[in-house]
Amino acid sequence: MPTLTPEMVPGLVAGGASCRMDVDVAPKFKVGDTVRARDINPVAHTRLPRYIRGRTGRITRDHGVFSFPDTSAVSGTHSDPQHVYSVRFEGSELWGADANANACVYIDLFDDYLDSA
Amino acid sequence: MNGIHDMGGMQCMGPIVREENEPRFHEEWEGRVFGMFFTNFAEGHFNVDMFRHAIERMGPAEYLETSYYEHWLHVYETVLVERGILTSAEIEEKIASLREAGES
Amino acid sequence: MAHDHAHNAPPSDTAMRVKALETLLAEKGLLDSAAIDALVETYETRIGPRNGAKVVARAWTDPDYKKRLLEDGSAAIAELGFSGVQGEDMIVVENTDEVHNLVTCTLCSCYPWPTLGLPPIWYKSAPFRARSVIDPRGVLEEFGVELSDDVEVRVWDSNAELRYLVLPQQPTGTEGMGEDALAALVTRDSMIGTALVEAPAD
Repeated sequence: MPTLTPEMVPGLVAGGASCRMDVDVAPKFKVGDTVRARDINPVAHTRLPRYIRGRTGRITRDHGVFSFPDTSAVSGTHSDPQHVYSVRFEGSELWGADANANACVYIDLFDDYLDSA
Repeated sequence: MNGIHDMGGMQCMGPIVREENEPRFHEEWEGRVFGMFFTNFAEGHFNVDMFRHAIERMGPAEYLETSYYEHWLHVYETVLVERGILTSAEIEEKIASLREAGES
Repeated sequence: MAHDHAHNAPPSDTAMRVKALETLLAEKGLLDSAAIDALVETYETRIGPRNGAKVVARAWTDPDYKKRLLEDGSAAIAELGFSGVQGEDMIVVENTDEVHNLVTCTLCSCYPWPTLGLPPIWYKSAPFRARSVIDPRGVLEEFGVELSDDVEVRVWDSNAELRYLVLPQQPTGTEGMGEDALAALVTRDSMIGTALVEAPAD
C-alpha cells in the first residue's frame, strides 16, 4: 500500500481490515460441544489467556474462519485459517467456590486452542 | 507469552478510576500516536497481531506505569528499529534537534 | 496522571519523542502528517458512542431491525453506516430481565470503535481488565449497577477479532418515544454493560 494520504483515510476507516479469511476450512467442533482449552504456554504471541487454559466450556456459536494470531504475529500476514468459536465457561469452572453467583464468561477460541472434553 | 498483559483474574489492581467528560485525546501527542497506527499499518510495518505482541514484550513495570498510547509509541519505536527503518540514535538525535530548535 | 495544559509549558518528553518519530518518518517519505490530521479529526468528531446509540434506538423501535441486529450484528450495523476499523466483525448481545451482559478485553483493550469510538481510560485500565472476569458483580457495583443473583451475568472477553456491543434494556415508560429521543437516553457505558439506561427524569 502506498503511503497513507488524507484522501485514503475515509476508505480505510470505513473499510477496516477484517481478520476473517474466505477459506473453506472444516470446523473441528460444533455448537453444543464440550471442549477443554489447551494448557499451552508459548513464549510468543497467543490470545488464549491463562485463566482459560485447562478449563472446560461449551461452544455456543461458530464465528467462521479467521487468521490465527499465534501464527500471524510471526508471519506478518493472515495465516493458518481456522474456526473461531464463542465458548461459555461457568464462573465456578474458572474460579471455583470464590466465583460470583450466576456469572459466566464467553470468550472466542480458535480450533488450535481446544480439545474435546 | 505469560506476561503482565494477561490480566484476567488478577485482584491486586485497586479500584476502577473513571473520568467524567473524558476527551478523546488527553494530549495532542496521543492523537498523533493514534494516527500513526494507521500510517504504520498501511506501510506494512506490522499487522495487528505483531502490534499486540510488541506491547506484550514490554517489561512488566514499564507496562503498568505507562499509558495506552505510550504502549503504542513503544510498538512503533520497537518495530521500526527492528525492521531497520530507524535507529535509536536517529530518534535521540531528532529529539535533541527539536529541543534546540524550540529553544531558539 | 499529571497534565499541564498551559500553552507556554515545555513539551513533555513523550510529546517530544512522538514529534521526533513523526518528523523522521515524514522525512523518509513513510508518513503524511495530513493523514494523521484527518484521522484525529475523524475520531474526534465523527466516530463515537452516538453511533452506537442510534443502533440501539433503532433496535428498540423496529423489531425487524432488532432481529437482524442480534442475528448478524455486522450487517445490521452496516445498514446504519457504522462499519470499519475495529468493528469489522460485530456481535450484539441483548440485556433482558434474565441476562445482563458486560464487555471487556483482559489481554489488551479491544473495543468496537465504529459504534462506541475510542475506549475510555477505565476500560483500558488494569483494574477493570483484571477484575471484570473474576468479579463482574463487584465491578458492576462500583459502577452503581446492582443486580439480583437471579440475573445471569455474562462477561464477554473480546480476545479475538469479534467486537461486542450490548443492547441495553429499554426503560419502561419510554415506549412511545421517537428514535432520536430514545438515542439521546443511551449512554456509552450502557452499551459496554457498566450502566443501565435510565428513563427521562420527569
